[in-house]
Amino acid sequence: MPELPGLAAKPFRLFTQEEVDKIDRAVMWTLEEVGIQVNSERARELLMKGGARPKDDSTLSVPEGLVREAVERAPSRVVLHGRDERHNLELEDARVYFGTGGTVLHTLDLDTGERRPTTLLDIARVGRLVDALENVHFYLLPLYPNELAKDDVDVNRFYAGLTNTEKHIMGGIYSPEGLREAIALAEEVAGGAEALRERPIVSFITCTIAPLRIDATYGDFLVEIAERGLPVAIPSEVVAGVTGPVTISGSIVVQLAETLAGLTVAQMANPGTPVLLGTVSTVMDPRRAGYLSGAVEMGLMQAGVAQMAQHYRLPLYATAGMSDSKLPDAQAGYEKALTALLVGLAGANFIHDAAGPLEFCMTAAYEQYVIDDEILGMVMRAVRGVEVSDEALGLDAIAQVGPGGHFLTNPHTLEHMRSELFTPRVSDRDLRERWEQNGAPNTRTRARGIAKQLLAEHRPPGLPEATDRKLRERFSKIALPEEEARP
Amino acid sequence: MLDDLKQAVLEGEQEQAIELTQKALEGGTDASTILNDALIAAMDIVGAEYERGDRYVPEMLISAEAMKGAMGILRPKLTEAGVKSRGKIVLGTVEGDLHDIGKNLVTMMLEGAGFEVEDLGIEVPAKQFVDAVREHEPEILGMSALLTTTMVHMPDVIKALEEAGLRDKVKVILGGAPVTQEYADKIGADGYAADAASAVDLAKRLVPQG
Repeated sequence: MPELPGLAAKPFRLFTQEEVDKIDRAVMWTLEEVGIQVNSERARELLMKGGARPKDDSTLSVPEGLVREAVERAPSRVVLHGRDERHNLELEDARVYFGTGGTVLHTLDLDTGERRPTTLLDIARVGRLVDALENVHFYLLPLYPNELAKDDVDVNRFYAGLTNTEKHIMGGIYSPEGLREAIALAEEVAGGAEALRERPIVSFITCTIAPLRIDATYGDFLVEIAERGLPVAIPSEVVAGVTGPVTISGSIVVQLAETLAGLTVAQMANPGTPVLLGTVSTVMDPRRAGYLSGAVEMGLMQAGVAQMAQHYRLPLYATAGMSDSKLPDAQAGYEKALTALLVGLAGANFIHDAAGPLEFCMTAAYEQYVIDDEILGMVMRAVRGVEVSDEALGLDAIAQVGPGGHFLTNPHTLEHMRSELFTPRVSDRDLRERWEQNGAPNTRTRARGIAKQLLAEHRPPGLPEATDRKLRERFSKIALPEEEARP
Repeated sequence: MLDDLKQAVLEGEQEQAIELTQKALEGGTDASTILNDALIAAMDIVGAEYERGDRYVPEMLISAEAMKGAMGILRPKLTEAGVKSRGKIVLGTVEGDLHDIGKNLVTMMLEGAGFEVEDLGIEVPAKQFVDAVREHEPEILGMSALLTTTMVHMPDVIKALEEAGLRDKVKVILGGAPVTQEYADKIGADGYAADAASAVDLAKRLVPQG
């Protein structure tokens, strides 16, 4: 039985309330006293309209009152829809969902195991795989189609996603024209602009640039998406020690300042527009000053931000379940499990990058999606926690069996075993003889077999034929072969 | 005295390194002895410690800064004595990309290794790279990009160098997260380095000490 998506964690707390307040004050101080560099004219005007004052040519001091007002205006609950309603993500409080992320440039080929550039076909096929994986709750477009021209990338990525899974699609954007095309595409599928606003089956990402900057292009994207009333995540990507203080709490301050500045821009553009606070932040590898994706400190940092987002009563786009290993091996397993568990138990809402990526989020592997689905199932089981109802305590069963008996055939066992115990698909629990009879496969080999089987057998419902025809007529740059859109 | 200077560079004490360099010159030690026996000797140790994983990047950078401070005083003396710099390098982040930390790291490391670096900053268009190559006549032109979307401007710069007739006058090297050796080969660059320390090795390889 699969774990249910969107369970509310009884969140583990990294900070005391006093510490939460201290971090909050530090964030407001940073926004007001240090300020944020805003290179987007539109974002700048909006912040100044709200009372932000220029500190110099590009940096604005953002007053606490303006930020607090934006936090109040922003919805505490954002629902991201799947094409099929059963995949809706109800982002609020400590509800937890996990999904994919990227954007990676390389994949380990499923047949050869060789690293090669990702293509549009991979986006379609990984989408199909994700559609079949029950513990991967959304499809954040994880791969870059290396063979396409930059102007063709956006509409093709969203098309490949929407046609291959009914789960929610989120994606980064590569050009202003691409953003408009991706929105037009989603509107066509949803049944118009109003229908898309009501049931957003796609959502977008616009990053800030650490430390404390809003870029011209992304700032403009943010304003445009907010004006259209579509959901947008505003992640900050601090690398502690490089683009933020090396200390975890110090870097939490910088990333909250950035994402709250972005949220304030969005709320000034369109009060009440759905926004996810966001963090992709991590710590540096001090030996290279490079980005790390599998560090335990990243898990702590993300868990801390989750607690802060709950304090602001705002949904959070968080990051966990990655690895710096170059292939699906033991390091990939423990790094992914550790960070996913920390951030899941903290009750972060929309936890991305949790399936697929390896190597600093630069490479993905088909079989890794399958392995990660299993890790995430276990994490969701942990998030579900332990029930202590009368029924769960099972005193009747304890009395019925009594000293010296067994519980195997007791009705209480039969009633609860499928929900109480997580059933793995990848993990090997066989006795040695049987495992040897099966060729003594390791985890990666088993996962590869499952990935191949799911890709061969799983047939997600594509778009209605008439819609698909319309899309192909309207967007001549759609490059995905028809058989990959209607598998 | 030279041992103290070497120690100051190892510990990244810039002010002390400047002061000790000044004193050594005043005491009559010649500039190339100071350079070789104290500064370069210190940076060799720094490099070795880094390679072993004992020295972290921030610790390496403060040593490079100390070396750069000392070089500020030493360079005019070296020029007077007819000692040339290790080589000249023009660097910048390509058009549309405002990431500069990686490039700044490379600049500091190259300066620490004795190269003269002209840093063009961020969002540098092809024309500006070409103009800088014409003006500064560097041995090496370095380009950085952090984004897949801006990396595509790298071949434009190489093309612009060809059109200006400067391509064979300068070695082109690339760096940045999405860049790979394969990509460098594909677009006809002369080299690729994965991090700041290997960028120094690459530069040393491309500009053999004369």
